[in-house]
Amino acid sequence: MENVLKLTDMTMQFGGLKAIDSLNLEVNNHEIVAIIGPNGAGKTTAFNCITGIYTPTSGNIEYLNKSILNKEPEDITKRGIARTFQNIRLFKDLTVFENVLIAVHLRYNDNIFTSTFRFNRHQELAMREEVKVLLESQDLYKYRYDIASALPYGIQRRLEIARALATKPTLLLLDEPAAGMNPQETMELTSYIRKIRDDFGLTILLIEHHMDLVMDISDRIYVIDFGKLIAEGNPDEIQNNPHVIKAYLGVEDYA
Amino acid sequence: MKFKDRINIDLLIYVAIIVVSVIVLVFLDMNKFEYNYAISIIEKSLVYAVVALSMNIVTGFTGLFSLGQAGFMALGAYTTAILTIPANVRPNVYYMNGILPALENAVVPIPVALILGGIVAAVFASLIGIPVLRLKSDYLAIATLGFSEIIRAVIASPMMDKITNGSYGLKSIPGFKSSLECFVYSLILIIIMILIINSSTGRDFKAIREDEIAARSVGINIFKTKELSFVVSSFFTGIGGGLLAMFMRSIDSKTFSITLTYDILLIVVLGGIGSITGSIVGAFFVTAGKEILRFFDEPFAIGGVEIPLFRPGFRMVIFSILLMVVVLFFRKGLLGGRELSFNDFIIRKKNEKLKNVGKGGKA
Repeated sequence: MENVLKLTDMTMQFGGLKAIDSLNLEVNNHEIVAIIGPNGAGKTTAFNCITGIYTPTSGNIEYLNKSILNKEPEDITKRGIARTFQNIRLFKDLTVFENVLIAVHLRYNDNIFTSTFRFNRHQELAMREEVKVLLESQDLYKYRYDIASALPYGIQRRLEIARALATKPTLLLLDEPAAGMNPQETMELTSYIRKIRDDFGLTILLIEHHMDLVMDISDRIYVIDFGKLIAEGNPDEIQNNPHVIKAYLGVEDYA
Repeated sequence: MKFKDRINIDLLIYVAIIVVSVIVLVFLDMNKFEYNYAISIIEKSLVYAVVALSMNIVTGFTGLFSLGQAGFMALGAYTTAILTIPANVRPNVYYMNGILPALENAVVPIPVALILGGIVAAVFASLIGIPVLRLKSDYLAIATLGFSEIIRAVIASPMMDKITNGSYGLKSIPGFKSSLECFVYSLILIIIMILIINSSTGRDFKAIREDEIAARSVGINIFKTKELSFVVSSFFTGIGGGLLAMFMRSIDSKTFSITLTYDILLIVVLGGIGSITGSIVGAFFVTAGKEILRFFDEPFAIGGVEIPLFRPGFRMVIFSILLMVVVLFFRKGLLGGRELSFNDFIIRKKNEKLKNVGKGGKA
């Protein structure tokens, strides 16, 4: 199976704190892989390292067998890694349509002269058409004129995913996509994540606390605690792993 | 699609406004002596509208709080002035220190001079943008403010005597032949700026204003885009400075002090940060407002009793109070990031109707 993402001994140190301690992680093509762990375990820090917001103190990050260490976030997005954020980061005062339209820009090259004097008319129309198709496929087209911040929470989440999809990623990173969702919405999200993986040919790495969703959807799971990898395996293995039970429940004697 | 149904009504209204303005201005120009005062207010408002909108590109649409406006205006104004003052009056202008031989006969047509003024401002902006744009909010404001003061100090310094005429300033700058000329220049600049703001480049600016991290996550190069916004804004500010020089006909370094930046900032804030129409309406509102309130400066008596408050300077007190009221009650400015738009109004009404119908159906 083709290797999409590979972290080798990645360490991220903030002052005296090792937020991530020599993490090894692999994501293969078309897999859905979850990272779980208690709060403050370093999951989001790992995402921030992968997407270039932080530069790891040591170790290596390979994407499609090429190192993406020290690359700027925008370059990493251009190479095909898109992400969503734990606390939704939309372009709040812009419309749904504009939110997704901006994410399409990176695949079209126009400069300020062509765009100002509308020499890029064909491109502009192509971009808009593309956004329309994407929004329709994600069932968001009816919200196109709505301001992003005025949307219900669940729709905002989906919009953020749609915006990430608009960059045409190979690898999609989802940071707690089910945060704040009720069981019904979580179930819908589970099938939705599978659907976009198949429709867009994605590989997905996600952070999640909803165990139902994680166990249901993941091909493999990595468990992190205090920045250290404590377990990896398929959902069954993880559920019965004594280290995981200990980290989550904090007991020495497990049944 | 959206592209098309945006254009119709608003565009018609804008064209109508432009046509009416042209007619009014032609009328005013024909009766120049009678309406001298009105013409000067209109010209000043137009120039300020250009500069306010250019400031809005960087402050309102890209979210970079820059206070360097006066500096960039000074660059544009001096470039325009130096290149347009008729060669035969130059010895009179530079009577104290003489003029640099190279500049003695350097006269270019006004539009060329204006564009060169913009380019000079843009070049300076691109240079100082590299270190300064790494700063955020207040720090950026302070850094750009400092730059603006440096420009002013350099212009007034004795070393620049043969170019800028130092502290004596420049005069005999050819002014607008008619208010229509000023209108045409401003209109062209404003239209280009609107096109930029509504282009894909403008959308990148807005994305950065909304959320830098999200903008990077969709592949926008933050630094390049900020720099672009800053340079473009400064280009138009420079041309605006050139227009101001033409309006005033004589300038010196004090013209471009920090108060000029505040005047522009006032217009932007009052009109609505991130609103194109806000900046334009604000420019007229502030410029005309300052003049109309002038009667507060005159002595005023009720029933023979003279009110002691009414004396020179009181109008600025009133003006400041008005400002506070606007800021308190319309925190985002008069237009608050929105546009004066008939289309939006109609769309909103339609949406409300649709939503109500939807609700009715469910119940």
